[in-house]
Amino acid sequence: MDASELTVTARMARLILSPDEQEKLGAAVEQMLAHFSHMKEIDVHGLVPTTHALLRENRLRDDVESSLDVTEKLLENAPEREERFIVIPNVL
Amino acid sequence: MDWSGVTTTMKSSEKWKAFVESRQKDLGSYLQFDPERGSADSSPEGPLAGVPFAVKDNIAVRGFRLTCGSRMLRDFVSPYSATVIERLQKAGGIVAGKTNLDEFGMGSSTENSALLETRNPWDLRRVPGGSSGGSAVAVAAGLAAFGLGSDTGGSVRQPAAFCGVYGLKPTWGAVSRFGLVAYASSLEGIGVMAKTVEMTETVFSLIRGQDPRDHSSLSWQPPALKKGPWVIGVPRECGDVPMHPDVKKTLENTRGLLRKLGHDIRDVSFPTLDHVVSSYYVIATAEASANLARFDGVRYGHRTRRAETPEAMTVASRTEGLGPEVKLRILLGTYVLRSGFQDEYYLRAQRIRTAIRMDFQKAFEGVDLVLMPVYPVPPFERGSADFDPFSQKLADIFTCAANLAGLPAMSFPAALENGLPIGMQFLAPPFAEELLFAACRQLEKEFPSPDAPGFPAGWR
Repeated sequence: MDASELTVTARMARLILSPDEQEKLGAAVEQMLAHFSHMKEIDVHGLVPTTHALLRENRLRDDVESSLDVTEKLLENAPEREERFIVIPNVL
Repeated sequence: MDWSGVTTTMKSSEKWKAFVESRQKDLGSYLQFDPERGSADSSPEGPLAGVPFAVKDNIAVRGFRLTCGSRMLRDFVSPYSATVIERLQKAGGIVAGKTNLDEFGMGSSTENSALLETRNPWDLRRVPGGSSGGSAVAVAAGLAAFGLGSDTGGSVRQPAAFCGVYGLKPTWGAVSRFGLVAYASSLEGIGVMAKTVEMTETVFSLIRGQDPRDHSSLSWQPPALKKGPWVIGVPRECGDVPMHPDVKKTLENTRGLLRKLGHDIRDVSFPTLDHVVSSYYVIATAEASANLARFDGVRYGHRTRRAETPEAMTVASRTEGLGPEVKLRILLGTYVLRSGFQDEYYLRAQRIRTAIRMDFQKAFEGVDLVLMPVYPVPPFERGSADFDPFSQKLADIFTCAANLAGLPAMSFPAALENGLPIGMQFLAPPFAEELLFAACRQLEKEFPSPDAPGFPAGWR
């Protein structure tokens, strides 16, 4: 992967890489992709992809009211808040 | 060691707490040690009454921090408890504290924690394994009766092996993950570490079973337990994996011991073994890139001080808050999911995953259990240049297969070589945890978990 590909990927991942990270993480990504390329050696024709080894059918819980009631505790973890609102930089 | 009532009897409680604090500087097991807080939600009665346990810091405990070993969540306090915690508290167990880990569970040495250094009680220069290193150390050093960890590609079994204790990775879905911070959802699960098979089994029996709050949890329906002797398969391909002589020797000795105990040891074929690491890392990083997208600096977690727009805030918060190994895996995962590359990487890895599952299915038609080493090398030294992060990933070869196939697996202490514990593991068909316990119990009679240097005599 060249430097511009790495930058595009980082942007998609919402990360900015420092020059040092460009070099180190770039090399590490390259090393892993080279390893992944061995997957080409195996014949996967006719194999259905596995997303989950044991996932069973969809199911619904009983239709009864329940609540964790942790709203205030969740809001306490917000980096910046005004009463019941979370503050972020100006959108416009 | 008898742990019952340790935290409810004043005298033994003080003795135990003083001991934990005296070992913290050397071992760095706990990120937060607070049994008083932990006891607030526990039942005074039950099979675990007064028994303290250690919890990997990616599992939520109400009122405790939930850092995941990351700067991103350094100050996050969990508003609720994971289902496994509630179940253990109902049985009388007491959360002693939260233990160190590789950031978000990504690593094999606990060196990727942004918050603390954790050391192996057998040799302080060496790593405890990872990513559940802190819990493994707590159990091995006598700082808790048992530990909870999470196993995505070996993160319970490998540190258990490095520290000389038992480590169970249950069948995928057998234990609720409500309250476990997600890394790679199709692979990971909560597991148990303890000094005895009995304690491991007791804890598993308390935490297993379907949970309405975890849609992926499954009701535990075990097959009938087959009485021994068993047919035990060892993958022929293990011989092709470069292994330290001590690990090779321990595998041979374990084979010999099992044969002596009357079991039928056979070679089995596992042709896809060579591809498990690639398949695992493509799938794990792809899922990680999606799961960790939630850390955006908006509602919780680290937020940058310098940003003028919401988008810039998210990018800067992630860039500042996440460590290098986490960034590497997010980058890889993002890349393999990019349009144009999906067929080559993600889809191919998922097809290989099917081939891996079929290899196991075929093997279990002829054998009851599969025996493999846990890790190709003994505990390595911290910052070791000859065993870099890339080599550590390749070394997940024996552990991550069980995660890809969703199978239960249990590592057990099998030898002490040059003063360092070496672990082996059994793998079993889905929901056959009881068979793992039965097999490990037989070997425990021959070789119990060795006591690490400084392991306490008891708390009475």
